[in-house]
Amino acid sequence: MRIKWNPIVKKDLRVAARSMRISWGLFAYEALLTMVFLIALAVIQADSRSIYGSGNVYNHLIYLFPVIAIAQVFIVTLIVPILTASAISGERERQTLDIMLTTCMSPFSIVLGKVSSAVVHILFFVTAGMPIMALAFVAGGLNWMNLFYFVLAIILLSVLAGSIGIFCSALCRRTITAVILSFAFYFVFGILTGVPVVIDGALRQWEGVGDSMLFLLFNPIVFFEEFFMQLMSEESIFGSVGYVFSKSDVGFLTYHLAKGKLWMLVSAACLTATAVLFMLAAAWKVNPIHSSAGRRPSGKRAK
Amino acid sequence: MLYINNLTKNYGSFTAVNHLTLHIPEGDLFGFVGPNGAGKTTTIRIVCGLLRASAGSVIIGNTAAAAGSREMKRLIGYVPDFFGVYDNLKVREYMDLYGSMYGMYTRDIAKLTDDLLELVNLSDKKEVYVDTLSRGMKQRLCVARALLHNPKLLILDEPSSGLDPRARVEMKELLKNLHSMGKTIVISSHILSELSEMCNSIGIMNRGQLITAGRIEDILQQLSGGSRLCVRIASGMDNAVRLMKEQAGLVVESVRENEMIVSGSITDEQISALIGRLIQNQVILTGFYREEGNLETLFMQLTGGGAQ
Repeated sequence: MRIKWNPIVKKDLRVAARSMRISWGLFAYEALLTMVFLIALAVIQADSRSIYGSGNVYNHLIYLFPVIAIAQVFIVTLIVPILTASAISGERERQTLDIMLTTCMSPFSIVLGKVSSAVVHILFFVTAGMPIMALAFVAGGLNWMNLFYFVLAIILLSVLAGSIGIFCSALCRRTITAVILSFAFYFVFGILTGVPVVIDGALRQWEGVGDSMLFLLFNPIVFFEEFFMQLMSEESIFGSVGYVFSKSDVGFLTYHLAKGKLWMLVSAACLTATAVLFMLAAAWKVNPIHSSAGRRPSGKRAK
Repeated sequence: MLYINNLTKNYGSFTAVNHLTLHIPEGDLFGFVGPNGAGKTTTIRIVCGLLRASAGSVIIGNTAAAAGSREMKRLIGYVPDFFGVYDNLKVREYMDLYGSMYGMYTRDIAKLTDDLLELVNLSDKKEVYVDTLSRGMKQRLCVARALLHNPKLLILDEPSSGLDPRARVEMKELLKNLHSMGKTIVISSHILSELSEMCNSIGIMNRGQLITAGRIEDILQQLSGGSRLCVRIASGMDNAVRLMKEQAGLVVESVRENEMIVSGSITDEQISALIGRLIQNQVILTGFYREEGNLETLFMQLTGGGAQ
């Protein structure tokens, strides 16, 4: 059986592989991770020498993993919009999008190809970061499954960030506007999803929050907080809400969702669904039958 | 091959294409002519599925699928007036990319790429990066790309714009070649002399409306109401004028010192007979020819001088 690659992924990877940009990007990524590692190591060593510290540096070295992992999550969050925000607007600026749209590729395949190539690019970076991640393993306390889950979480984040970036790229004519809009969406998902919880909590005088907490299922920051909490200490903030508050305090859904690891799984499903929605919206926007309905063709603007 | 029925495209209150109805038979090399803003590109974009029509329909071959559907896309090869290329992509890879987009297998694409690059005279550029090609070469490569999936209809929007004279000639030869192979080709262009040399039929658009369409000779004939004859005479002008006036269907338009312009419908046999009579009546002819109409004159007449 032959596997048919999405032609856009194949092309993007081929073009990127011949460009120095990817090499410089990987170099910068490695350099940044090394810096984070060295700073974390210095802090851990300083802490172990402190009179308040335990005196055993090895107890703290295990925290190198979440520090480096969080640094990677942070970098990926910044890189993906830059990779994807130009994906559609760049094709439009180059006037290759029209040709692409006259082929048998559906707008959704084009969007999916662009998101996939962003995910593959991110996997390059994550793979390149593995040797530095491996240093955290030297300290022990971690297993291969932790690393596997981390890669899965990074892929989920890349897909979400990539689909947001693609949607913004399809929406905006200029790449820079698409990047800015992508970060605006980050703000909405990272910060604004917490606002209903805060309002709800304040209204209940902090004696519980209702089903407004379900908004946090769509919050990637909360997802990664839960991820690292459960990975490192098998504890959870949001996952334990069901034990802390009564059913009447937090609402039926939150009570059941927030017990155990179900919260994180449901959150992963919600984030995936959000990514798919963004991709569908981007495909709808890319489809010329929808997007150009009210605009005159721009191809002849110079004439 | 291509049936456009009552096609209309509105942008708010502006009507870019107004109830356009057109039929292009299979194997035609059809030239789409019109001044800027006439609605040619809008029509082409609708046919290619890059724009939604406000009303009307497009049928290609026997496929009445919606414009932009996969079935329609398989029937059309589209060459835009301007297109960019990807850096760091070779000619062979460029063809492979678009072949894959039509769901073709790499092996089939490789075989077709060789044939098509030979057809567009780019065989020696197979391993060259696309962005290093000249504008004319890129345009020919784009034609090869558009032919990869063997479309029934090839649509070219201003294929010669921005090309130097040599590249224009090469493009013209390529299109003639494709026409001789039986491809149905639609070209939109401003270069009327080029179209008149290449196309066997044309459609003239102005302000969103199709003014006339059909075979070039028929349109020229229709418009001039028959041919004009230019008669050059060394001596015997009075006799010549009398004989011309006697000839049914001819009207003497102007008489100068040794030249007379006559218009009207007259067959080649009648012309032979007329020349015989002129000679018998001691009229010494130095020239006798049909004054052919041309596309430029026709275009200016129809569009009220709004042409390039």
